[in-house]
Amino acid sequence: MAARGRKPKGRSAFSGLSVIASAVLLFMVALPTFITLTVGLLPSLVAFIFDRSPGRMMARCVFGLNFSGVAPYILELWQDGAQTVGGATQQIFQPLALSIMYGAAGLGWLLYLAMPPIVANVLNLSAQRRVAELRKNQRGLIKTWGDSLIKEVDRSG
Amino acid sequence: MNIGTMAEQAEDQKQDVSNDAGQRPEMDKPGGGAPVDETADANANREEEISTGGKNLEIGNFRVFTDLRLPEFDMGHCKAYAADNLRRSEGNAFALVTDPVLPTRYDLIKFLSGVHMAGQIDLLDSAIAHWPIFGRKTMVLFFEKPKGGHVIVSSGKQRSINEQDIAASVVEPLMNVLQALGEKGLTHRAVRATNLFFGDPEGGKVILGDCASGPPGYDQPLVYETTARMAADPAGRGVGTLSDDLYALGMTLAELAIGRRPLANMTDQEIMDIKLSKGSFQAIASQEKLPLIMIEPVRGLLCDDPEERWGFAELHAWLDGRRTKPVQGNTEKRAARSQNISGKDYYTVRALAQGVAKNWVNALTPLRDGTVEIWLRRGLGDNDRAKAMADAMRQLQWAGADKRSAEEVLVARSILILDPSGPVRYKGFSAMVDGFGNMLSYDVQHGSGPQRFSDVIVRDIPAFWFGRQEGYSPEVQRLQSAYKNLRYYIQQKSAGYGYERCLYSMVRNQHCLSPMIEQEYVVDIAQLLPALEKAAENVSDDAWPVDRHIAAFIATRLEDDVEGQLMAMQNPSDEVEYSRAIISMLAVVQWRHGPDNLQNLSHWVARLMEPAVKVFHSKARRERVETEIPKLAKRGNLVELYNLINDEQERRKDQSEFVEAVAEYSEAESEVFDLESSGPARLEMAEKVGQQAAAFASTMIALLTVSALFLMHIF
Repeated sequence: MAARGRKPKGRSAFSGLSVIASAVLLFMVALPTFITLTVGLLPSLVAFIFDRSPGRMMARCVFGLNFSGVAPYILELWQDGAQTVGGATQQIFQPLALSIMYGAAGLGWLLYLAMPPIVANVLNLSAQRRVAELRKNQRGLIKTWGDSLIKEVDRSG
Repeated sequence: MNIGTMAEQAEDQKQDVSNDAGQRPEMDKPGGGAPVDETADANANREEEISTGGKNLEIGNFRVFTDLRLPEFDMGHCKAYAADNLRRSEGNAFALVTDPVLPTRYDLIKFLSGVHMAGQIDLLDSAIAHWPIFGRKTMVLFFEKPKGGHVIVSSGKQRSINEQDIAASVVEPLMNVLQALGEKGLTHRAVRATNLFFGDPEGGKVILGDCASGPPGYDQPLVYETTARMAADPAGRGVGTLSDDLYALGMTLAELAIGRRPLANMTDQEIMDIKLSKGSFQAIASQEKLPLIMIEPVRGLLCDDPEERWGFAELHAWLDGRRTKPVQGNTEKRAARSQNISGKDYYTVRALAQGVAKNWVNALTPLRDGTVEIWLRRGLGDNDRAKAMADAMRQLQWAGADKRSAEEVLVARSILILDPSGPVRYKGFSAMVDGFGNMLSYDVQHGSGPQRFSDVIVRDIPAFWFGRQEGYSPEVQRLQSAYKNLRYYIQQKSAGYGYERCLYSMVRNQHCLSPMIEQEYVVDIAQLLPALEKAAENVSDDAWPVDRHIAAFIATRLEDDVEGQLMAMQNPSDEVEYSRAIISMLAVVQWRHGPDNLQNLSHWVARLMEPAVKVFHSKARRERVETEIPKLAKRGNLVELYNLINDEQERRKDQSEFVEAVAEYSEAESEVFDLESSGPARLEMAEKVGQQAAAFASTMIALLTVSALFLMHIF
């Protein structure tokens, strides 16, 4: 158990280090892209910091849609041949761009909140349907075998 | 014979009545046939009312005239009536109506029916028929009328037989009968002077009268019984042996020689006392004047030691005029001093045994304090008996809490130590071991109940009797093995066992005593269902067609083993098994013995099949069976009814399907419980799954967006 407990911690540390290393590398090689990603993925960053639940599902939800919102701007930045820090700053601080990036992150968070009740309802409905089906079968058995069936079931406990 | 001749016959009888006929005890109701006290009977002078009203009924091959009595042919406790043989014109028959509350002798009826045996009255046939005078069914025996009348007429007088002719007229024919019966292992047990008829009108050879209409020895006057058997109650005197018949032959010769019954002026107790104190022959010789010519055979035949008693060889020798070995008059050892019980002195062991039996309570003290043992040792010099008595007393000391019962057993055992060849006596019960069946039958049907018999068997008194018998005897061995069964039956309390089973297994001709069919006099198993069919007409709804008596009757008389059904009947609260067992028993009887159509009984059984239908669990099967039952009941076939509820394949299928249904129901119930009780767990799972699904969807959306952007960029 102890070994098991340590293993995810090591992987998490490794993953954190690899993210930092990637960020440093990106900072040195492609600063405009780094700035766009850092600003655009700020909600995901916050979510990863605050979501301490196993699997960090909320952070993943937020990140997925947040990244979908950031990706068009990264692509647009890469299409601009100069790839300057100014161009990146100008692009990112446009209200529409920020709204799209952060709105997408918000949608991810909403998805995270809405999904469990939907699943619960589906499961409940399925259970109710199964109970109804089983009760119907039992009624059929009683109709065929009469009270002796109930007595035998009671007797056998 | 026609009605006209009957009327003539009736006229003749009127004369007989006024002279010497019609002096016998009446049996106008069941149980009226008490043992004949022929001394008192001889003094009585009753008028027989003989009408010629022509009331008759057909019984088998005979027409019996119920109002045409033939008192001169009455035998023992049974009355004779005029009868016509419908099959044969020649010959004169008469009907002897037996007492329905006394069992007849099956083996003798079977052996003698339709057989002519020199020296024995011809038993033409026997039948069970409704006897209007009794208002119930009884057994009727049909005999050929002897050509001459009774040797001893009812007034007690004897029609003359010359002393010189006794050998040829009496001894030879009677020997022939006893020999023929002896060859078949049977005994007559009704050899007495009053049961003799002349075989021809001239008064030549005599023939013996009926011996099958009642328990063996039942009608014998006490003086005709051996010292061993005379202490038994009349119904419990037992089948006995040839030796007992020879003793009775000796007494018959004495009566014929004297011209009246020996010791007729004495009471039964006085006869017993004198026979025990002097020996049988001396008792007769001291009181009566025997003709010289008869002294030798009477002495030989009345010898109290059965080993010494004359047999056929000695009788043949006497008939041939040869001398035979002399026999001792009295072999009973007499003590130097007496043993007193309740103020009476006894000098012989047999007399003392009888004294103990008669003074049951007072006899305990001298037995317990060793007085009797000392008397046996010192007064009689009989160390073996004294040792046996000491052993019996020692066993009393080992008795547990039930001291009283142990004391009663001591008294009963003491009697058997003193008189090992005598009857088993226990608190008023007194019967030979081979007479237990008839004694039980008598007790049950005459109000004494089975308790006395049950006590004797439960206390294991007969086992002690067997232990006291000396030497090997196949008869004793047979009785001993039969006794083991009796003990087992008595110990079982459920239907089909108990005293009822003992009764039917011991008395072959015992009719079924179930209150439902007793009046029908059911002796054979084949008569049972027709009797129940009749009873079913007026039966209450909740009565079962098989009670304890019928169950025991079927268990004894049916050729098939019904122990399985009896086991199932042990628990009446299990209605399903109980009713199935009863229907099964009746169905087996119908299958074996018919008749094919028993509508009333089938409807009765059908009413009681409600619990048996429950053997099926399936409602559809039950409904089908319930629909079928009335149809089959209408056809009157119990076997089909039984098969309906006992279709083994169908039952097995029903059972396995039921087990599967129970499992399926239980599983469904368990799953429903799980589903209904797993709400919080399901919510927890829903949250987890929902989050995972949201994360997955989010990741997919990201991948799709990036892929779409790349594709747009490329194209």
